[in-house]
Amino acid sequence: MHNLGTVFQFEVIRSLKKKSFWISALSFPVIIAVVFAVIFFSNKSSDQVAENAKNEKFTIAITDTSNVIPESISGQYKAERVSEDQKQATIDKVSNGTLDAYFYYPKDLSKEKVEVYGEDVGLFNNGKYEAVAKLLLQQSVATNVDPQTTAILQDTVGFNAATYKDGRQFDGIKELIAPGIFLIMFYFLIAMFGNQMLTSTTEEKENRVIEMVLTTIQARVLIIGKIISLLVLAAIQALIVLVPILIIYLLFREQLQLPSFDLTSIPLDATRIAIGAVFFVLSFLLFTGLLVGIGAASPTAKEAGGFFGIAMIFIFGPLYAVTLFFSQPDSPIVRFLTFFPLTAPIPLMLRNAIGNLSTIDVILGIAILAVSAIIALSVAIRMFRYGALEYSKRLSLSTIFAKKSS
Amino acid sequence: MTATIPTTPKSIDTKAIVTIDNFKMDFGGKTVIEDLSFEVRRGEVFGFLGSNGSGKTTTIRSLLGIYQPTGGTLLIDGKPFDVASGTKLGYLPEERGLYKNESVIDVMIYFGQLKGLSKSEAQKRSHAYLERVKLTDKAKVKLGKLSGGQQQKIQLGITIMNDPELLILDEPTKGFDPVNRRLLMDIIEEHQNAGATVIFVTHQMEEVERLCDRIILLKDGKAHAYGTIADVKKEHGGMSLDDIFISVYGDENVETAEANKETK
Repeated sequence: MHNLGTVFQFEVIRSLKKKSFWISALSFPVIIAVVFAVIFFSNKSSDQVAENAKNEKFTIAITDTSNVIPESISGQYKAERVSEDQKQATIDKVSNGTLDAYFYYPKDLSKEKVEVYGEDVGLFNNGKYEAVAKLLLQQSVATNVDPQTTAILQDTVGFNAATYKDGRQFDGIKELIAPGIFLIMFYFLIAMFGNQMLTSTTEEKENRVIEMVLTTIQARVLIIGKIISLLVLAAIQALIVLVPILIIYLLFREQLQLPSFDLTSIPLDATRIAIGAVFFVLSFLLFTGLLVGIGAASPTAKEAGGFFGIAMIFIFGPLYAVTLFFSQPDSPIVRFLTFFPLTAPIPLMLRNAIGNLSTIDVILGIAILAVSAIIALSVAIRMFRYGALEYSKRLSLSTIFAKKSS
Repeated sequence: MTATIPTTPKSIDTKAIVTIDNFKMDFGGKTVIEDLSFEVRRGEVFGFLGSNGSGKTTTIRSLLGIYQPTGGTLLIDGKPFDVASGTKLGYLPEERGLYKNESVIDVMIYFGQLKGLSKSEAQKRSHAYLERVKLTDKAKVKLGKLSGGQQQKIQLGITIMNDPELLILDEPTKGFDPVNRRLLMDIIEEHQNAGATVIFVTHQMEEVERLCDRIILLKDGKAHAYGTIADVKKEHGGMSLDDIFISVYGDENVETAEANKETK
C-alpha cells in the first residue's frame, strides 16, 4: 500500500478545494436552518396570538346555547352575551365593522360546530378569533373538571409500555435506532457520494493521465486511496450537516417545540450493532466497486452517469417494499431482495435493525455481500487498469476478461 | 532487408537494463507484434523507430505492464516491471494529459511524492524546473489554463522529476515548437550524461542521429533493423536514416519523412 497516504491526501485536499463540495455540503444545513426558522417563527406567532388574545382589546359578543361558558369566564374577556334571536343582528354588526368578533356556541358541542365571525385582520391574525373562542371553552370546562379527567380528555396521559421477545424486554422502535443508524449512513453515503464514486476514475481517463498514473502507482492503491478519501469526505460532510442540527436542537429545542430525546433509554444490542456495521462496510465496498467499475468502463463521466440511475434502482428499489420487511419477513419477495447481491444491502440492514434476521440469514447475508464486494472491487480495478486506455469507447466485459491477468 | 537478431538472448547481459525476448502481442485475434527480441543497454540512448502502427507504443506499454503480452518476456532490471519494484522510471507516454482542474505545482508535487520524493523535495525540484522552463509565474495556475506547449513542459518535468535511471519518451517532441524541442534535447542529453538510459520513440531522424547510440526499426510488428546507427546505415548501403526510413516504410510514412526533412 505504498503511496496510499499520498493519494488519499491529494484526493481529499483537491475535493475540499472545490466549490461544488462546499455548495452541496452547505446547502443541506442551510435548508434545514430555513425550515427550522420557519417553524420557529410560525410557532412563536401562534403562541403569541393565543397569549395576546386575552389582553388584546377587541370587542366580542357570544351566544352560549350550550350553557358551558359561565359569566365569570366570558366576563374576563369582556364578552357581551347576546340571546340566540339576536344572532343575525350580531353577525351584521361584525359585517359592518361595529363589532370585532362574535362566537355562537351551539347546544350540542359534540355534534355541532362553534361558529366564529370576525372582522378581517390579515391572513395570519384571523386565527386569533378561533383561538379565543377555544380558550373560552377550555377555561370554562377546566373549572368543572378535575385534572385527571382533563389529562385524559386532552390526551396528555403518559404511558410506559414494555414488550418482551426471546425472554427479554424488547422495544421495537427504540431497538431499531442503534443498528438502524448504519442504514441511514449507507443511504446518506450513496445518495451524496454515489455520483462522485461513479466519476472518481473517469477523470484520469478523460484527462489522458492514466498511463503516467499506472506507471507510477498500482491501480489497486489508487482506487483504495480514492475510496478512503470519499469516506473521509462523507464524514466531513456529515459533520457539516449534523453539527448545526445538534446546535439548533440543544439551544432552541423548547422554542421549536422539538421532542426531548433521552438517549440513555435507547437499547444498545452489541450483536446487532456489530452485524449492522459489517453489513454497512460490505455494502459500501460492493457499491463502490460497482460504481467505480461502471465509471472505469465508460469513456466519459457523462456517459457513466447514464448508468447511475440503474445502480440506484438496485440500491434503493427495496425501499418500496419496506412494509413487507416488517410484516412478511419470510415471504419469497423479501428473501429474494435480502439475498440478491445488488439489492441485499438495504434489506439486510433494515431487517437487522427490525430484528427479524435469523442467525443463518445473517451468515448468508455476510457471505453474499463479502463475495460480491470482492468480485466487484476486483473487476473494478481490472476495468480501471485495462479500460483506462480505451479512451474513446465503452469497455465490454469480454474485453476485460479477454486480457490476461497480471 | 531484415536485421540479424538473436531470437533468444544467449544470456542476460548484465549491462542490459531492458530485455525483450520473443515478445508477441495479439489484439482481437490479430497478431500485431511477433517474435520481437532486443536489449537496451544501461546508459545508452536507444532509438525506437517505426511507422505509425508498427508496434512501438504497444511494446512500451507491454514493457511497463500496462498491456499484458500474449507471449514472450519483457524485463526491466531482470524482472517484469512493477511500480513497487524500485526502478526509478520516467515515462512520457504518447497519449498525454494531466489533472486539468488542479494547479501546476500541486500536480507536480503529487507526482513527485508518488515517485518517492518527500513533499519538500518534490516542491523544491518542481520550483527549480518551473524556473528553468520559465513557468514560475504559472505555478498556481490550473493546468487546464495553460497552452498545449506549456502543459507538455509540465509533463516532461514530472517525467524527469525523480532523476530516473530509465527514461522512456514516446514521441516526446510531438507538438513541440523548435524552442521546446531544443529544451527537450538538452534535457535528454543531461540525463544521459548523468548515466540514465533513454528509450526514445520518434519519427524525427535528425533527433535520432543527434542523440541515439543504437536503434531498432519496427515494421509490421517485427524488427527490421537493429544495432548502432553506423551498422544500420552500413546494412542499407550507406543511406541516410531518412532514406532508410522511406525505403523501409514506403509511402506509408512519406508525410513523416518529408516533415523530417523540413525540420532540418
